[in-house]
Amino acid sequence: MAKKLMKGNEAIGEAAICAGALNYFAYPITPQSEVAEYLCWRLPEVGGTFVQAESEVAVGNMLFGAAASGKRVFTTSSSPGISLMQEAISYIAGAQLPVVFVNIMRGGPGLGGILPAQSDYFQAVKAGGHGDYHLIVLAPSSVQEAVDLMILAFDLADKYRNPVMLIGDGMIGQMMEAVEFPEEHRKPNDPTGSDWALTGAKNRKARITKSLFLDPVMLEENSFLLAEKYKTIKKNEIRFEKYKVTDKNRILIMAYGTMARICQTAIDELEQEGISVGLFRPVSLYPFPEQDIFTESTRKNIEKVLVVEMSVGQMIEDIERCLKGQREIDFYGRTGGIVPTPNEVKDKVRQMLGIKK
Amino acid sequence: MANAATFRYPSFSKRIVALVGGFGSGKTEVSVNLAKYLAHANSEPVTLVDLDLVNPYFRTREAIAEMEALGVRVVAPQGGQYYADLPILLPEIKGLLETHEGMLILDVGGDAQGCRALGSLSGEFPPGQYEMLMILNSRRPQTADVAGSIATMNRIAGSSRLPFTGLVSNTHMIDETDAAILLEGYDLARAVSGESGLPLFFVSAKRAVLNTMDTSVFACAILPLTRSMLKPWERKEETSGS
Repeated sequence: MAKKLMKGNEAIGEAAICAGALNYFAYPITPQSEVAEYLCWRLPEVGGTFVQAESEVAVGNMLFGAAASGKRVFTTSSSPGISLMQEAISYIAGAQLPVVFVNIMRGGPGLGGILPAQSDYFQAVKAGGHGDYHLIVLAPSSVQEAVDLMILAFDLADKYRNPVMLIGDGMIGQMMEAVEFPEEHRKPNDPTGSDWALTGAKNRKARITKSLFLDPVMLEENSFLLAEKYKTIKKNEIRFEKYKVTDKNRILIMAYGTMARICQTAIDELEQEGISVGLFRPVSLYPFPEQDIFTESTRKNIEKVLVVEMSVGQMIEDIERCLKGQREIDFYGRTGGIVPTPNEVKDKVRQMLGIKK
Repeated sequence: MANAATFRYPSFSKRIVALVGGFGSGKTEVSVNLAKYLAHANSEPVTLVDLDLVNPYFRTREAIAEMEALGVRVVAPQGGQYYADLPILLPEIKGLLETHEGMLILDVGGDAQGCRALGSLSGEFPPGQYEMLMILNSRRPQTADVAGSIATMNRIAGSSRLPFTGLVSNTHMIDETDAAILLEGYDLARAVSGESGLPLFFVSAKRAVLNTMDTSVFACAILPLTRSMLKPWERKEETSGS
């Protein structure tokens, strides 16, 4: 199939269709409204359904109900909208339902602004709702990767019966890039043979999908079951990418999403100056590539680790946890919709190494 | 091989040019580059109006400093409204349509929804004194063929209440554009021209790509482009805007 030029938001919508996910519930919010604009004409073409809910709270509960039927369901929103869904996300995780959430992040807290940010890291990775649960969290850095990870997100959600969240800063949703989609669309999954989906109790015992367990023994059992599942996810689903990581690196940069691409430009330009810097980009933010981050950061010539985020510092706490004090960690971040430039990253690296420009 | 010196650049007998197209057609790059070229080539003033009411990022207003340095006046929301995702229609645009010095270029964003703004101004366009040009990109899903392009144009003309007077072939894939893609888009634009009866005003393309090919294959004017709407990792050797 010839490559097409698509806005990230449109491509995310088309990727869901490729994954056989034809049930979409959403409420518009900048900078991700183009997903709904695209799917409102595209889904009917392929026999799908888009319900524009009255609020993001309603979206969350529609997802719970629709996911219980065993069909692939998803929503897209941006920071404040995702906050409104947190209660339902906790219920969905508790009831072990496969749902895909997309958060095209904007600046916060509160209504914040409409420009790109990465300040919902904690909310996504540490689980923004109540209770002992986790989402699988994936962070693309290009429109093509958003397409690929969106399709993967549905597979992981089904495999683990767990909500998956794709997070991208506003740039992922708004920028145009050339993309390619798989030739074959997946057929919508058939939940007939499922041992958990609510498919009608004719000729079988009725099933109950719930997150309410008043008996503490059963609630603890459910939480232990989830905890076991997260252990398996940590074992199987770690994803990351390295850029110019070698034994010559004096600094290793940690960044995810489009921030990593800005750091790549900085790394290329620093290389011209004879300063060797590598990049480690976590793709799965949960599970976090803990062991690989430790291994790569403790290469013999690495003096310091630099974490760069479009926030005042969130992923850095996980990096600190991984490095167990083995390397000095520094931070550079801009927020509120201001995106660090390659030059700012270069200046920070030079300053860390005591190099005058 | 033809070089840039042999290009016939676009020229206009009308004083108002509205550049219209869907998401990703590249109308902002075309508008910015056309304004810069006309300001440079003609000794007359050029005013560029940012009428992109639907895109929150990558808008003409981001190139204001660059444009003003070249003598192009940019009309776009300022101050707190600069960042707004609200459909802000500046009152001075109506006045500019009635009377302005030199060329007036309007960058009209975002498909049929975006063109509603133009609809509210349609009565102000002096009859017969403007061009309304559709920017075509064959690599965009909705304008990938003749039928899709005509349907998109009909939707836009319906909401803008202004008929198109011509076409621009701006087929591109940003940094993955090559000569073959330009030719594919040119073929589509000629087919759309044949079907709609509208003239193809010009082909626009990255200068670097034009330099790799024999441009005499294009029977119309050519506008070479230098990209202004850069992604953060493409902005080398510059400091943050804030």
